Amino acid sequence: MGIPTRFLFGGVLMRKKRISVVALLFVLPVIAILLAISIFPLIYSFYLSLCQWDIGTGASRTFIGARNYLRLFTDARLWGALRNTGLELLLGVGSQFLLGLALALLLNRPFRGRNLVVTLFLLPMMISPVVVGCIWKIIYHYQYGPLNFLLERLKLNSVNWLGSNQVSIYSIILADIWEWTPFVMITLLAGLQAIPDELYEAARVDGATRLGTFFWVVLPLLRPVMIIAILIRVMDAFKIFDLVALLTMGGPGQSSETIAFYNYLTGFKYFSMGYASSMAYLQLAIIVIIANVFLKSWKGREIS
Amino acid sequence: MKDNLRYIIFVGIFLLLALALSPFIWNLMTSFKDKGEYFTYPPVFIPRSFDVEHYLQGMKLGGTRGIRDSFIIAASTTLLSVALGSLAAYSLARFHIGGENLAFWILSVRMMPPIASILPLFLFFRSLRWLDTYQALILTHLLMNLPFAVWMMKGFFEELPAELEEAALVDGCGRLGAFTRIAMPLVAPGLVATALFCFMFSWNEFLFALILGRSKVVPITVNIAGLIGGHEILWAEISAVSIVASVPIIIIAIVLQRYLVRGLTLGAVKG
Amino acid sequence: MVSLFLLGVASCAQAVKLVVIGDAGHNLKPFEWYAQTFKEKFDVELEVIGVPFGEVYEKEKMELIGQTGAYDIMIVFPKFLAEFAANGWLYPLDEFIAKLDPKMEDVTPGYRDFYCKYGGKVYALPYDGDILNLYYRKDLLENEEEKANFKAKYGYDLKVPETWDEFLNVAEFFTRKKGEKLAGQVLERAFYGTAYYGQKDQIFAWWGNIFSSLGGVYFNEETMEPGINSEAGVKALEIMKTMHQYCPPDVLAYGYEELKDVFLQGDCFMVVQWPCVGKKGADANQSKIVGKIGVAHVPGVKKDGEIYYRPLMPCGRVLAIAAESKDPWKAYQVIQYLSLETSLDDVSTAETGLDPYRYSHFNHPEAYEMFENVEDAKIYLAGVQQNMEKGYPEMVLPGTVEYEETLGVEISRALSGEKTPKQALDDAAKAWTEILNRLGKENQKKMYQELVKGWRAAGLWE
Repeated sequence: MGIPTRFLFGGVLMRKKRISVVALLFVLPVIAILLAISIFPLIYSFYLSLCQWDIGTGASRTFIGARNYLRLFTDARLWGALRNTGLELLLGVGSQFLLGLALALLLNRPFRGRNLVVTLFLLPMMISPVVVGCIWKIIYHYQYGPLNFLLERLKLNSVNWLGSNQVSIYSIILADIWEWTPFVMITLLAGLQAIPDELYEAARVDGATRLGTFFWVVLPLLRPVMIIAILIRVMDAFKIFDLVALLTMGGPGQSSETIAFYNYLTGFKYFSMGYASSMAYLQLAIIVIIANVFLKSWKGREIS
Repeated sequence: MKDNLRYIIFVGIFLLLALALSPFIWNLMTSFKDKGEYFTYPPVFIPRSFDVEHYLQGMKLGGTRGIRDSFIIAASTTLLSVALGSLAAYSLARFHIGGENLAFWILSVRMMPPIASILPLFLFFRSLRWLDTYQALILTHLLMNLPFAVWMMKGFFEELPAELEEAALVDGCGRLGAFTRIAMPLVAPGLVATALFCFMFSWNEFLFALILGRSKVVPITVNIAGLIGGHEILWAEISAVSIVASVPIIIIAIVLQRYLVRGLTLGAVKG
Repeated sequence: MVSLFLLGVASCAQAVKLVVIGDAGHNLKPFEWYAQTFKEKFDVELEVIGVPFGEVYEKEKMELIGQTGAYDIMIVFPKFLAEFAANGWLYPLDEFIAKLDPKMEDVTPGYRDFYCKYGGKVYALPYDGDILNLYYRKDLLENEEEKANFKAKYGYDLKVPETWDEFLNVAEFFTRKKGEKLAGQVLERAFYGTAYYGQKDQIFAWWGNIFSSLGGVYFNEETMEPGINSEAGVKALEIMKTMHQYCPPDVLAYGYEELKDVFLQGDCFMVVQWPCVGKKGADANQSKIVGKIGVAHVPGVKKDGEIYYRPLMPCGRVLAIAAESKDPWKAYQVIQYLSLETSLDDVSTAETGLDPYRYSHFNHPEAYEMFENVEDAKIYLAGVQQNMEKGYPEMVLPGTVEYEETLGVEISRALSGEKTPKQALDDAAKAWTEILNRLGKENQKKMYQELVKGWRAAGLWE
């Protein structure tokens, strides 16, 4: 932590205390606001998850303990949705990370017009997700969409992007990659920008190769930023809703249904608030576990 | 040899950019199309006419007020998130206050699927008589953006070696001074990125905007979704409004990109 | 004198402000068109709030659960009517009807009896009459070459299909690949026999057309055993599976827009669709087949020498009043005005998406401005009326959305080949039983029996 040790013992203690007060003050506003807004929803929804409340029938809330959670485990549709979300995590987030990193590295070297290029790359993120869904709906259309038209021109077969239960989830993942790779790219680029040039210089002086510099200097320094970029994308993969709703409604069958979509259906269309809450808590648990595992295994050594 | 490599990279970037932008260009073209040009064979790449009637119509259908409402909410959320979030992030990165647990708790607030929070938040704001107000949405978006800002900035602060601030402290600068005058400027790219993303998350948020708004506060996302009718989808207006809605963000991005993508910062040429 | 004057001024200045909520877009236009009339006649000022179509249910429901009292007049989709009424969120209109008659006898039985009432009371007035119709290319039907080929292949004259078997024959006949001929011209692209709504929120209605004509029922009213996996149900799904081969490959992703466009762009011979498609078909901007559209009743089953057909009435819109409305009587006056006085104008204009639901709507073809000539309008209206008279209701119960959607998922699975029709429907029936038990079997049974009583009284069920 770099606290100079040349103070007396008492001095160190005093300094530690003062640091703690300052540190606390810095963090207090955030804690206060988050607590204030999130505490009620947290408690209320947890209580709901222990109840059965099908508002539609005019029935009142009845406490049923953990039965909602038990029901989760026998719900085949839920596990189908989780499988789809898992695919998105592996393929979608994975691709976004690799592509984003590649792009960030490419754009790290200055060139004329780089600013413009970076801003242009941001465009997919700037459009409302609803509109992204609308755009891709037309693009993916089997008969009238430009994508199949181009494939046809290239003498390739048209692809049944949205109407095939084999392909539909991948169409959604592709649209998601298009929309969110810019996020990873910009985050990693910002991280790369903050690496002082002296380090590159020092590595070169030490005789490191380009690739070596990348793996042993750049990547470790970039690690905190990479972690957050991936974590955010992982968390948001559980929230993919607009694309599904607009492109396929989760169909055919259930082949492109994500967990967020199914949760939305149970909570908002079927209005089984109790069950929907328990599903939400299951997702929370899964994300917390993934995040924990991820953080622990990537923590590694502190950057000196 | 090096020039060839540079050239290839240029072409590569250009191709990727073209690929990434083509749906966006399609969107732009769609905003000028008329009925009958949306779903037809062969697909219409260049619309019949380029008049701006759909833009005007889209704005008339609530687009202007939607952009205004979204801007107020997004800007407020972004300012609050970046300012307070950076403070907290600094504390977490430098002093490790609360250890792993505090940092994780902050992030976990964002992990909650929105479905679970909607009804309680609706009832919560209802009791405060804050339904259909800006503050309700600003606060709700903070749930999403504050943890994000904290963790983003924490990552950037952790990347920063602490020596510079320590030097400033020795020179008699207070912690706050070290924070504002040394640390923050150095993480400017991260700051800009975080601010941009906070703004975009808030700008593009739909569910809470729909449920917590009503008639006085109607963000642009709800407005655009309203153009998707049951038996009539106004594709051109949707495209038009989305493009107009992205203009403020593009402007902000252009203004801020100077800080996002800095040129040569500390001297030597790279690579 | 002064106080009287002040009182007069005060009452003039204070028009009652009512809030209207409905799906955003052109269906809310009538509220704006007649704003002046409402002010003058009823002293009412309206604030109209549009909500995205896909989210009307959630938004209305949230506000009702939270008892915010935010809305007075609500545009409700009939499938939610039972749920809203059962929860006591709607104002019963019977006493108002006695005072100001909305002439319900002029409304076609489908809407009058199935979509406005709950538990014997009236809770809403009709606003938009959605029903499924059979649209076909009458120019291709009258083509001599096609007629000859058809007769040679199937042994009877080519005509508008009236039964499901005939429907499948015609669909098969008209499914052509690129390079084959259609009406004497070589096709540059594939041409399809038919198409259907594939997305799972409303796919049940397309299956439902077949199911209902085969005599299927949703539940057995005594035992509450689901009737969807009965023989009728399985047969219906098998027919649909055969139909699937004559449809475009991505038909399972089809929503309203795709279904409309595949027909209006001239790429398919016939579709079963809502009334608005007929109106849009007359617009040269959107339709490549103006003047070539025929409208008929949806196919059925031959019974006792007659064709028994029952088109589903998915979606639709009715006007209801919130129980907590600040002035229910004034709100009623507004909706009565819209549902009676101006309804012909509203359903016959191209500026809204509202469809006819009164006999008087069908008797004035000249009012439908979107058709080039009155003849086309007459053909259109005759076809729609045929279907309206035999409309088969959605199951209007609390939980309808869940029932319909779960069924839709299974139907979609069967059609994509994931399961056999029997398997899919058995799973759907299992899911329905689970939903039924979870929502309270006794309660559901009671409500369902109420529904059936109403259906019987209207002559729908035997």
